[in-house]
Amino acid sequence: MFDTYIAYITKNSIFSIAVFITVLPIALTIIRKAFLDQSLRLLFCYLIIKLAIDLVMLHYASVRLNNLMFYNLSIPLFYALLSGMFYFKFTARRQKNLLIASIVGFCLFSGWDIVNSNLNLRDMNEHRIVVYAKTVEGILMIALILLYFYEIIKSLQIPNLLTFPFFWVCSGLLLYYSSLIFVAPVLHYAYTWKNPQALGMAEYIPSIFEIICALLFSVGIYHYSPKDYAKQ
Amino acid sequence: MQNSEELKWALLIASLAMLAMAFCMIAFVMYYQKRRFEEEKKISDIEKNYNRLLLDTALNSEETERRRIAQDLHDDIGTMLSLTKLSLNQLGKLVANSGDEKEESIMKKSQSLVEETILHVRRITRDLVPTTLERFGLMEAIEEFIHKLEEDNNLIIAFQSNTEEFPRQGQKLELTLYRIMQELVNNAIKHASCTKIDIVLEIDEEMIGLRVTDNGVGFDPEKIKESNLAGLGLLGIESRLAIVNGTVQYEQPAKGGSSAIARIPVNPASGNKPEPLHPFRRERVNI
Ligand SMILES: Nc1ncnc2c1ncn2[C@@H]1O[C@H](COP(=O)(O)OP(=O)(O)OP(=O)(O)O)[C@@H](O)[C@H]1O
Ligand SMILES: [Mg+2]
Repeated sequence: MFDTYIAYITKNSIFSIAVFITVLPIALTIIRKAFLDQSLRLLFCYLIIKLAIDLVMLHYASVRLNNLMFYNLSIPLFYALLSGMFYFKFTARRQKNLLIASIVGFCLFSGWDIVNSNLNLRDMNEHRIVVYAKTVEGILMIALILLYFYEIIKSLQIPNLLTFPFFWVCSGLLLYYSSLIFVAPVLHYAYTWKNPQALGMAEYIPSIFEIICALLFSVGIYHYSPKDYAKQ
Repeated sequence: MQNSEELKWALLIASLAMLAMAFCMIAFVMYYQKRRFEEEKKISDIEKNYNRLLLDTALNSEETERRRIAQDLHDDIGTMLSLTKLSLNQLGKLVANSGDEKEESIMKKSQSLVEETILHVRRITRDLVPTTLERFGLMEAIEEFIHKLEEDNNLIIAFQSNTEEFPRQGQKLELTLYRIMQELVNNAIKHASCTKIDIVLEIDEEMIGLRVTDNGVGFDPEKIKESNLAGLGLLGIESRLAIVNGTVQYEQPAKGGSSAIARIPVNPASGNKPEPLHPFRRERVNI
């Protein structure tokens, strides 16, 4: 059993690093007590759930079972958690309402997308990645991040962005979703069970940026200190 | 498969372009934020300087006005009184020759009244402009101030300093310290109902510290500032200090009373600087 994992991990090293690197920001969150901050607490939940799902997917993949169901289900969950972080960052009532509407809307949409992309839902073996949902998630997240950047510039409340944890978190997410946005829709067509197609380098870019994103999270969380947050 | 190969390239290029954009976005936000902050800081600096200038001008003109009044009192009223005294003396001789007892006693009374008035005018002019401060420096000025107060109150005012010879400071700084000391002591007399006031003047390489402690009822400066009890005194102390980069701290010692510490960075007097605030310096013959 152990050998199969090792074999899979060595064969897909980049994917595997992207999975295990998540441990770093999780550990830092605990060490720096970053979960005291509401937004970073959601990020913490996201990281733990992501690690769990990734490990399960790794297990499925190494025993050669179709794991894309988990990928699909994680999309609305991750969006809810990640965009939820912005709920505590936006101050205007309207922005908050819009955010909640987008979460609800997106969950419904991705549910529909799963059904739409899989003609036969029962057939786990032939399960395929959703067509639109991941791309839409990327667009929504990028829009949220840009909106947040705009607020930062407008309000001028953060003297040094480089020591501001949430800026690092946003930068990581922005890079990750930017790297993903063009690749995501193609995955639906490429990752079929019977006849998978390799995408070459383009396939690795999201994983590489997943790693970078986790590193940026870590930098951000490292800069967290409870007393700074009390001030803003 | 030619087509699929091209698609892969297209994907790669598109992703990289998107990433480049994301990088630019992040860099832009960082750069722009930093610049806006610098601008904001510059503006607030300018504002602060401007306010300081305004305050400085206001206080300066207050001092100039005091000087003007003091000089007018001294030159006009003082001279008139001297002349009056002279005439009275001559009249006194005439009256003495005539030998009327009653007239003589009225004469004596008028003479002593005029003399008293002269003394009062002199005291007022000296209160208006701390000439001792300008001539002999802070220590002497404080000692004189205390001396005058002790005469007509039954108060004990103690004055200590950590040097024998207190080095002369810039004119504005000495005046600031003197006025602050005056206000603090006046406050203690007015509000604290105390029996003892301690004044401590300390100087080291960088800072001058002035501490005034009384053993009265004590007060909480925060509360005073919040309520509208604060008079001009405490506010004046702060604005005077703001001009010379000083700070003030109020404490409530455990054994009761209150204590105020003002600290100002030293600024030794530069020997031959022009002193625009000295119309009163033109020495006159004392009455
Ligand atoms: N040494 C002290 N002991 C007790 N209370 C004090 C003392 N100094 C100041 N206070 C309180 O602080 C208040 C504000 O003092 P401040 O000097 O600002 O005003 P003031 O003396 O009442 O008026 P002004 O100084 O303008 O003539 C006073 O009314 C008094 O209640
Ligand atoms: Mg007062």
